[in-house]
Amino acid sequence: MNTAKRKIPFGFIDDQAKREIRRSILKAIAIPGYQTPYSSREMPMARGFGTGGLQLTLSLVGRQDVVKVIDQGSDDSVNAVNIRQFVQDVCEGVQTTLRTQEASLIQTRHRIPEVPLREDQVLVFQVPYPDSLVIVESNEATRKCMHGEGDYSRLLVKLYEDMVHFKKITLSHRYPTQIHTHYVIDPSPIPRYDVPRLHQAPNLFLFGAGREKKIYAVPPYTEARPLVLDDIPFEVEDFTHPETGDRYCCEVCGSDRSFLEEFKQADGGSVWQCSDTDFCASMLEAAEAAEGVI
Amino acid sequence: MKPILDVKGLTRIHGKSCDGCLAATGPKVGGNQCPHCGSIVACADVSFQLMEGEILGIIGESGSGKSTVIRLLYMLDQALAGGALLHGGEESAIDLMALNRAQARQLRDRHMGIVHQNPRLGLNYQISAGGNIAERLLMSGNRRYHDIRRIASELLVRTEVPVSRMDDFPGTFSGGMQQRVQIAKALSTRPRLLLLDEVTTGLDLSVQARILDLILELQRELGISMIVVTHDLGVIRLLASRTLVMKTGRIVESGLTDQVLQDPQHAYTQQLVASAL
Repeated sequence: MNTAKRKIPFGFIDDQAKREIRRSILKAIAIPGYQTPYSSREMPMARGFGTGGLQLTLSLVGRQDVVKVIDQGSDDSVNAVNIRQFVQDVCEGVQTTLRTQEASLIQTRHRIPEVPLREDQVLVFQVPYPDSLVIVESNEATRKCMHGEGDYSRLLVKLYEDMVHFKKITLSHRYPTQIHTHYVIDPSPIPRYDVPRLHQAPNLFLFGAGREKKIYAVPPYTEARPLVLDDIPFEVEDFTHPETGDRYCCEVCGSDRSFLEEFKQADGGSVWQCSDTDFCASMLEAAEAAEGVI
Repeated sequence: MKPILDVKGLTRIHGKSCDGCLAATGPKVGGNQCPHCGSIVACADVSFQLMEGEILGIIGESGSGKSTVIRLLYMLDQALAGGALLHGGEESAIDLMALNRAQARQLRDRHMGIVHQNPRLGLNYQISAGGNIAERLLMSGNRRYHDIRRIASELLVRTEVPVSRMDDFPGTFSGGMQQRVQIAKALSTRPRLLLLDEVTTGLDLSVQARILDLILELQRELGISMIVVTHDLGVIRLLASRTLVMKTGRIVESGLTDQVLQDPQHAYTQQLVASAL
């Protein structure tokens, strides 16, 4: 794309729109967990492919920023590569990176990086469904009232029903999480494994839903608690062998403390691998460096 | 006996309403639509007291404003004028008509219960019978799964629903059982005030009798104050110690149930009693 010829402004979105989005971001930060409406702009990709996250990224990015884009933990999948390329094209002078530690602005789809983030980093989520109450109430006006009154009993009933019918909680991702003791958010389809990372994190989390036109935030050092029944503890994926109880390790880097993905093999067995590709690569490098020293 | 509920001048008008609405409607005129502005006077100037542990009956033909009174007291609708003071508990009296949505919901969840004529209004058919009771307990702030299971099964035993059906969906239950689940749900938070809106209408006679027995037992054992709305004189005679008769949104007669039924004063009550006997 030739940006000079077509006079595309820095960050693709015009200043007016950026201002509006930034105002909504400020409001979202001021009311942790509240779904702030905004006029989601048309982007040069279809809604549902991360336009919400992209608008946040583009209205926040400055020339000094280093941008990283993750798709399901991976930097190399089509969605991540395309968005990174797009940011590079429309934001002249902005660096991109694959390294979590180097990035100042990270746009992610469905994962939080394994490496803990810092105060100077911002994590932007792409959100398909912003409202966690949508699974129990279809009317949006009613949902707004329920949020306002902090009425989340019907989500708890869903947990009760899960326990009755399945003897366990069946929500595997998009786990309803209560922010700052009031609003319950849909933390986008991150696995349960990532939910505790929202709690009292030093960095800012921003959530952008392009199709549903909502922005919400978990500010730094804010309480984020998964919604639970008092005597049924919240559980995360543990990746243990069902019989031996041993934790699976990453096939590539050998990590036993990261979120793993299962790959079925032709012989019927499975291979497990880190979902966060950057974490996996840095583990490998560290191992190689250690070998080199010896 | 101390009053638990003090209702004064409760009025609700559908439409824009004018100064002449109240004067131009009512039992004397024989209608509830204002000839000046076309508004419907659903109920006007309804005042009564409910004592602790008492069952009060409200009787009247359909459209007389019975259910409107119940909806106002359960804070599902906004009153145009009037107040309803709820006494008891540690707090001082609360005016039900002056609460905002969140306060109303909290009070409703903790201190009041309602049983609708149609169980579809009171129950969620997408979740199990136990889940319906759990919903109310969760609303009132009890979040312990095992507590909830225990309380729900106790209530189902109490209301004679087989506990083995606790995890089944209400849609698979008979009408009488659904009504019992609704009663169990309403009772789960041990409410001070229970509102019963035509609870036995549409059930066959033997089931009706057992539900009425249950209500009387609950009143005797738990001492819950209740307001029973019905158009069935038999239900009123069996349950209520005092009765209000409503017509076109107004209370036209009130007194001890036996007195009202044996010696009706108002022309409409006389007609009502005569037509039933």
